[in-house]
Amino acid sequence: MDFTTLGAAAAEALTLASFVGIGGGVLLGYVIGVIPGLSRSVAISIAIPMTFYMSPYIAISFLIGLSKGTAAGSAVSAILLNAPGEASSAATALDGYPMAKAGRPKTALQIGLLASVIGDILATIILIFVAIPFARVALMFGPYEMAAILAFALVFIAGLSSGSLFKGLAAGGLGIFLGTIGLDNQTGLPRMTFGYTELMDGMPLIAVAIGTLALSEMFVQSERLRHERGIMGVKLIHRPDDRITWPIFRKIGLTILRGTGVGTVVGVLPGLGPSVGSFMSYGMAQKASKNPEQFGKGAPEGIAASESADNAVIPAALIPLFGLGIPGNVSAALLIGAFAIHGITVGPLLLREQPELLYSIFAGMLLASLIMLALGWFGLMAFTQITKVPSHVVIPIVIFFCLAGMLLQGYGTFGLIILMGFALLGYLMKKFDYSFVTFLVAFIITPMLELNLRQSIILSRGDWSILLNRPIALFFIVCTLLALIMLAWRTVKTGKPAAGVPAD
Amino acid sequence: MVRKNFWSGIVVASFAVLALTWIIPNYAGTNPFARMPPDLVPSIAAWIMLICGVIITAGAVIEMIRSGQKPITTDIDWRGLGWALWPFVYVGAAIYFLSLFKITYVGIPLIAGLLLLLGERRWYMLLGCSVVPVLLLYMLSVYMMRIGMV
Repeated sequence: MDFTTLGAAAAEALTLASFVGIGGGVLLGYVIGVIPGLSRSVAISIAIPMTFYMSPYIAISFLIGLSKGTAAGSAVSAILLNAPGEASSAATALDGYPMAKAGRPKTALQIGLLASVIGDILATIILIFVAIPFARVALMFGPYEMAAILAFALVFIAGLSSGSLFKGLAAGGLGIFLGTIGLDNQTGLPRMTFGYTELMDGMPLIAVAIGTLALSEMFVQSERLRHERGIMGVKLIHRPDDRITWPIFRKIGLTILRGTGVGTVVGVLPGLGPSVGSFMSYGMAQKASKNPEQFGKGAPEGIAASESADNAVIPAALIPLFGLGIPGNVSAALLIGAFAIHGITVGPLLLREQPELLYSIFAGMLLASLIMLALGWFGLMAFTQITKVPSHVVIPIVIFFCLAGMLLQGYGTFGLIILMGFALLGYLMKKFDYSFVTFLVAFIITPMLELNLRQSIILSRGDWSILLNRPIALFFIVCTLLALIMLAWRTVKTGKPAAGVPAD
Repeated sequence: MVRKNFWSGIVVASFAVLALTWIIPNYAGTNPFARMPPDLVPSIAAWIMLICGVIITAGAVIEMIRSGQKPITTDIDWRGLGWALWPFVYVGAAIYFLSLFKITYVGIPLIAGLLLLLGERRWYMLLGCSVVPVLLLYMLSVYMMRIGMV
């Protein structure tokens, strides 16, 4: 490890601009996370246009800070309203809400915050120590290996993040199809642009991301308003005994460590996402507990298990992103788009070409965790007020920022029409239970997949036997086929999803 | 859900057929000298969609035969459908106005109108929630990004 680069990275992380950028990201994330229904991918997709004027380091750290803040903030509404800010905090509500109802809301919120921050910091440290050696190994990979790994990741995500494998694959197929629109990088021919010069660079990622994630979600939420109105929350009253104490912290310490481990493993695997991590961690904590009957009635371990795993998934999902350039979930896929906007190709080459940037981002992530702790601890009362903001006020403002985001990037009316088209597509995918996660990840990785596939075919001159000399590529091809068969068998046999939760 | 699967499977398969028979042959481009022609990846994607669409539809048909359901129902919640559709119409109309005026100018009535339609009647909420986001956008575009009013 180059200590000069490390020193420079630490120095950059401690500048005022860095504090303002990352702090702003965490604060915005916290606010958005507290509002039920606004997930971290919605937050990132709306925030990407805001990062255009920032430096690459500040922009990426801002978005990662936003992601972390959203994960921590979603626990507030889960505990006080029993309405998780996002799906991954649903496990937190199982014990958080009963504890808050029992007159200890501040204790529940503090347990959630501490578990979030500790899980997040530990997973970030794991990311730093794993991603760099991982990227060094990945630098030895050629196009065969990369194409095989990308295909494997896609099948894995399709199988695990959708209602059924076939729906997941259909969504992935549509993502690949739309991802090929634009100039063909070998022949330079316009491909499926229908004569529109605006499509020469491909479908605008911002339109696809904001449309399928944010705008479509607002349409879903506005439809839900017909049946669900009004907020029933727990009030936060000052009580001297309502705070986290050392015996409680000692009780949850091991649970936090276990949750971090579960969250890290789940985060590294593509397609699983924080919801699987938090519920898996909750289940393991319940099994390991001496009083499992207390779970669901306000057990502090339940909150700690869920929140530590939820937050550990975020840095862990960046391991395949920084190591291989493969996004494991939507948030990571959106980060690829943000990197691309700043002219950076994320993946193992980042370590070789811009190590200072990579180390600065790591330093920024640790700083974001500490800011999250400070903001969460001292701003607890203020954030609880946000839970009172009703959905019907949030929806118009978010729709406004969705439209403004497209115009800020200079797409004009054509971009807005594409945005509307993808919002309709995202809405239908959500209604008909097609995985928009698989769709978006497939759309984003298609150019990379096609490039590696093309290089493999040119290098091998169409001779498949060359794969016998590439054991890693062959291993992933076999894994892809096995995963496909197993997931198809499972879908046909049970008719149920393998995981069934979005890898947000 | 079975009926949803049936119709969505048909839509997916139909789109795939359209892509394979019209979009890809006419718009994906060909290069006989390239080892990997430009239409290969879109064709693979379309075949994946076609196979999956057929499987989803077939699964739904089998399920419908077993449970005695029909693919079409007369039990449609028209009010629910209207409630689901109006935000699309509203945003579609907003996009039309945005092709004529800058969002900084039409932002306030755009947000206020949507708030009113969603049931907000408090004047201070209408004013605050519609003015503050537009002001933030103005500051972002003019002073921070320096691209002028959008």
